[in-house]
Amino acid sequence: MFKGLFLFLLLISCTVQAESWPGEQWPVGPKPSGTALDALEAYAFPPRDDNTRQGIRTDALLVIRDGQILYERYAGPTRVDTPHLTWSISKSLMATVLGVAYGEGLFKLDDPAVKFYPALEKHPTITMADLLHWASGLDWQEDYEYAPLKSSVVAMLYTRGHRDMAAFTADHDRYAAPGQAFRYSSGDSNLLAATLKTIVGPSRYPDYPWTALFEPLGIHSAVWETDAKGTFVASSYAYLRPRDLARIGLLMARDGRWGERQLLPRDWVAFNLQPFAGYKAHQDEAVPGGQWWLNRPADGAPSPWPDAPPDTFAALGHWGQALYVIPSEKLVIVRYGDDRDGGYRHNELLKRVLGAVRP
Amino acid sequence: MKLFKRILLVLLLVLLGWIWHEREALWAFPDIISAYTAKEYCSCRYVMNNDADYCRGYVKQWLPTSGFTDDAVSKTVTVSGMGRSNSAGWTGEHQGCRLQP
Repeated sequence: MFKGLFLFLLLISCTVQAESWPGEQWPVGPKPSGTALDALEAYAFPPRDDNTRQGIRTDALLVIRDGQILYERYAGPTRVDTPHLTWSISKSLMATVLGVAYGEGLFKLDDPAVKFYPALEKHPTITMADLLHWASGLDWQEDYEYAPLKSSVVAMLYTRGHRDMAAFTADHDRYAAPGQAFRYSSGDSNLLAATLKTIVGPSRYPDYPWTALFEPLGIHSAVWETDAKGTFVASSYAYLRPRDLARIGLLMARDGRWGERQLLPRDWVAFNLQPFAGYKAHQDEAVPGGQWWLNRPADGAPSPWPDAPPDTFAALGHWGQALYVIPSEKLVIVRYGDDRDGGYRHNELLKRVLGAVRP
Repeated sequence: MKLFKRILLVLLLVLLGWIWHEREALWAFPDIISAYTAKEYCSCRYVMNNDADYCRGYVKQWLPTSGFTDDAVSKTVTVSGMGRSNSAGWTGEHQGCRLQP
């Protein structure tokens, strides 16, 4: 009996040891080389001009396979210890923080968001799932530089909305019934950040991203800016070192499990990675799941990144920020950048990374 | 000529109507450049810890700014442009920079 148990434990520990996890440092694996690596570097790191700001301007590229660093390179001002602005990757990070609260049993996906954020009283039928799908139905305008007068996101971050971004969002009229139509909205993401305040309670809220997510993953230098109400700017303002963002990717690649702890419930991750049914082909550069972007065929259109496996998913941000996860290849890729001209292509980078690491 | 004047009057009324309709957005518009520059410079400098010269280039946009002060002791950045002035300040290790007030 005891002998059987001993053998069982030995077997378990061998399985655990066979899986690489970062401790304080990441384990390092065999570095790729050859012409495929040259092709990757030629794409990601062309000569950089900080005056014209033209072309592809990668700040950091980190490739992790099976929990080990295969490749990393930094450029411009960015170093291994720079907490780089993630822009809209923050949205996927907030979803991950919410996933921990979901695992605590503190809310359900079909809960009306107004239950946790009373300022939504004008829109009582928007559910948590609708916000996670960017399907609130609120009449939001997500343009950055090109339409500054009409841009809801510019007004939210810098002018009329910056003191209380969730209230600014909740004040929008609706253009569609909640849950029916996709419209990418930084406002929806900040409403999620506001609901979290009630979900976990105001005393836990200011430290919750750290206690719930960053510390269990060994992330020590995360920054997450708030508005004047103390609500996290979930749409835009989380900062992580490249190797720390990769920890989030590894957590997602392994179905919400960190070591032996199931930090995110499996059904939460499954929700994140399920395409939103109301999405119409080519509405955005990839297919929305629950605050994550999926490389899945949708509404008759093929996968948005044809050279990457269909299980590829990503957190994406303005000016070329990206966290790509390819579970079938055991790959996590962090790409920070400062692309100002929109020339960067996810598919091209993924194709060249896959070419460089495939045996 | 009479018709021309009438068309001009209608156009003027449409313009005034549009200005009234968009008054909030129009009033807020001149704040964008100084608020953007102050906030993103503050974060570039004090959250990402990049050097000052790099951050000045990083926040540059097509609209010009005039005044620029960066108080390294209080970590407060104040920028003027289009007749408005905005400040952003560093508030702590976890919460980075924020527009003031």
